[in-house]
Amino acid sequence: MRAATVAPTTAEQRAFEHWQARRRWARAGLVYALMLGFAIIFVGPLLFATISSLRTDPLAYPPTLAIPQLQPGNWTAAARLGQAGARDRWFGGFAPGAVVPFEIAYFVPDGIEVIEPEVVVPRRRPGAGLGAVLAIEFAADYAEVYDLRRLPDVPMTVGDGDLTISGRRVAYAFEVRYLGEGPEIDRLPLDVTATVGMRYLESTLTASRLERRGRTASFDNITPGVLGYVLRNYVRTFNEVRSPATLQSLFLVWIGNSFTFAFFRIVVTLAIASMAGYALARLRFRGRGLIFMLVLFSQMVPLQVLFISNYLVLRDGIVTVGDFTLSSLWGYPGGMLNSLTGLIFVTALNAGAVFIMKQFFESIPREVEEAAMIDGASHWRRYWSVVMPMARPALGALTILTFQGAWNDFFWPFIVLTSPETIKTLPIGLLSFRNTYGAVGDWGLILAGAVMSAIPVIILFIVFQRYFLEGVSFGGGKE
Amino acid sequence: MRQIVIAILGLALLGGALAQQVRIMGYGGQDPAIKVRLLDEVIGASLEAEGITFTYEPLEGDYNAALFNALSAGTAGDIFYIPVETAPGIIATGKVLPLDGLIDTNAFIDSLVEAYTVDGTVYGIAKDFNTLAIHYNIDLFEEAGVEVPNAEDTWESFADKLRGVAALDADVYGACFPAGFDRFGAFAFATGWQTFDATGASNLLDPDFVEAVTWYTDLVREGVAIQPSDIGQGWTGGCFATDNVAVAIEGAWILGFLRNEAPNLQFGTTFMPIGPSGERGNFLYTVAYGVNVDSPHRDAALRVLEALTSPEAQQWVLEQGLAIPSRTELADNPFFLEDTPEAVANAVVFAGADDGNVLGFQFGTIGTDWMTPVNDALVAIMTGQSSVEAALTEAQRDLDALIQRAR
Repeated sequence: MRAATVAPTTAEQRAFEHWQARRRWARAGLVYALMLGFAIIFVGPLLFATISSLRTDPLAYPPTLAIPQLQPGNWTAAARLGQAGARDRWFGGFAPGAVVPFEIAYFVPDGIEVIEPEVVVPRRRPGAGLGAVLAIEFAADYAEVYDLRRLPDVPMTVGDGDLTISGRRVAYAFEVRYLGEGPEIDRLPLDVTATVGMRYLESTLTASRLERRGRTASFDNITPGVLGYVLRNYVRTFNEVRSPATLQSLFLVWIGNSFTFAFFRIVVTLAIASMAGYALARLRFRGRGLIFMLVLFSQMVPLQVLFISNYLVLRDGIVTVGDFTLSSLWGYPGGMLNSLTGLIFVTALNAGAVFIMKQFFESIPREVEEAAMIDGASHWRRYWSVVMPMARPALGALTILTFQGAWNDFFWPFIVLTSPETIKTLPIGLLSFRNTYGAVGDWGLILAGAVMSAIPVIILFIVFQRYFLEGVSFGGGKE
Repeated sequence: MRQIVIAILGLALLGGALAQQVRIMGYGGQDPAIKVRLLDEVIGASLEAEGITFTYEPLEGDYNAALFNALSAGTAGDIFYIPVETAPGIIATGKVLPLDGLIDTNAFIDSLVEAYTVDGTVYGIAKDFNTLAIHYNIDLFEEAGVEVPNAEDTWESFADKLRGVAALDADVYGACFPAGFDRFGAFAFATGWQTFDATGASNLLDPDFVEAVTWYTDLVREGVAIQPSDIGQGWTGGCFATDNVAVAIEGAWILGFLRNEAPNLQFGTTFMPIGPSGERGNFLYTVAYGVNVDSPHRDAALRVLEALTSPEAQQWVLEQGLAIPSRTELADNPFFLEDTPEAVANAVVFAGADDGNVLGFQFGTIGTDWMTPVNDALVAIMTGQSSVEAALTEAQRDLDALIQRAR
């Protein structure tokens, strides 16, 4: 009560305001810190997955963000080696005439005898995927290691503070050459085995892994090219995931299928939802309320309740009379399983979309249409030429939501599209990676595929953020 | 009307053209590519001469769930894989054609035929199989100055060798022991214990079973063995590839993994250690081809089944290093005598099928749910939350309830 009776001095006043300002900042700071925390929690895994997808072994433990694939030194080396291997600085390879220079350095503590390491181009067969089953060419059959020589030693110490080990840096240089004529091979693996006690320091390209308790530096490919090195798992997704029968790239086919499915689903959803929404918002007819309730009701019934009956409808080609199926009219005599048409058919009707469009049309002033009516416009004309152009924001929001839904849809594609591999959409196709590559610990392809499948939705979100928000508010309020 | 007529005609023509098209449903992974190569290189020509061809449809995700769905929807293939662990359940649906008198089963390994026999009737022909073996890291044993495991090892000598290697370094262990019956069970069988006794009950409080649990979990509590998750791995193979453990107890499936993740690992393979019963214990993991009872092309399907399990096909698969054959006659194949680590591993796994107490990886119609109480008990004991006796008593109670429900 002191403040009310006695006027505060200027100094007190200032101190009080200062305190208040500090408190405001503290509050703002807390809120921002919280939001930042949430952002990190939500974006963190995505970032981590993206970076891990570049690694040779994404599961390497403990996890780290400092990976060789992100070091510029390795990029230039990869480009140079790719150029030397197959005159291709981007994707590399190993072609006739190649001479690939390479260096590797060890730290040798004092008192340890230096023995020349053994350099071998191994006959390495992939453990998973088509490479494990199909006959492949081995670089080992065409490559030879030449001119292994020891470079001048450099004294060095490692460790810090009280614990230092003195010794020297021992480096070796050699060349891998392609002997004679032969096919171009896409990778050139290399193993360099030293004696116990010699510790791997560095090499022209960082080793893919150290094996045999540090004795062997193992390289998956010493002529990768920049993209072949940094985006190895991504390149493999396109190159290695092929149909065993036709050798067609399945990943591309799946992406194509996903886009086709999303495109037609958007077209069908927009057409049905806008017409139904318009009818429910504007036309006065008997049972209108009931129909609207039914539309809402279909939204309330869980998908799992309906899916068996819907599945049977698809399997039997909608209606079967004797040998005749209704779906044979558009080319599916044996039912519509395993066809994109069937998938679009079964997912086209979306009560939520009808609801959004109805709400939007109700927000358009009736007067606009009445003016058209006076000019003699029919219902169709009013719908198509007057209301639809005004509904662009709602249609935009619906397009985006539908695209996102279709692109990420797993349940129905999983049920409907089972065979052949070339009919699948991207999420279903990615599932096969788990059996093929995950089973042998090769998680890089799965991560790379998953990251790529997220890209279209991320782009869509960044470009059309505004519509996403509108989409949410259309569904929610009646404004 | 014209369209309808055309449609019906089209359907009839299509039906005629596809009469001999046999559909096979099976695992994803490598199998689709293997089938394509088999068809192209080995069995395609003779099938084609009879007007038969086949397509392979991999079921991704959970194979058993997908197969049961396909069977109930009537969309299952003419031939489908029957995993051994769910075989009794799949056969109980009545959708699998009995093969007695249709296929000669004498040429196949007895225990494999047995796993697919219900009430004296055979329902599936094993495609290939796996058993467990000891894969050991030669570098680690050399560094520790310990003799590598061999076929004469008993539980005691085997454990001593693991102790010797584990003493090498703080991050080196003797073995990764997962808390799962799917690996541990092989040790339980080495005591003479069986999953189901004569009355069809499972006795977890049997002294033999308790002994096996004690031996297995004590090694973990002693720090000689470790659970894979404790060193950031998902399975034993992961521990092995990173030089963290001296031995991995796995089947031949570890070979593809090692080729990818540790191509330079120097390893050898030997038999499971001899248990207190004086015998080894082992699991038989397998998958069989079964014929759909509703198949419209039953004869063609049987013909394809014969071709897929023919000596030529199995020999090709073996020589490519893809799987271990289910025919006894292939025991003498020169591939098994080669001196490479992979060939040795395959030979040991092949021989494991009839060496000691070998039981199918099978739990009657209960399926793999049977393992849940046992696995929970193993976790509780390994982490020190519960004593062997208390954990097994609780597991027995849960298991009895489970079996009761299944009946």
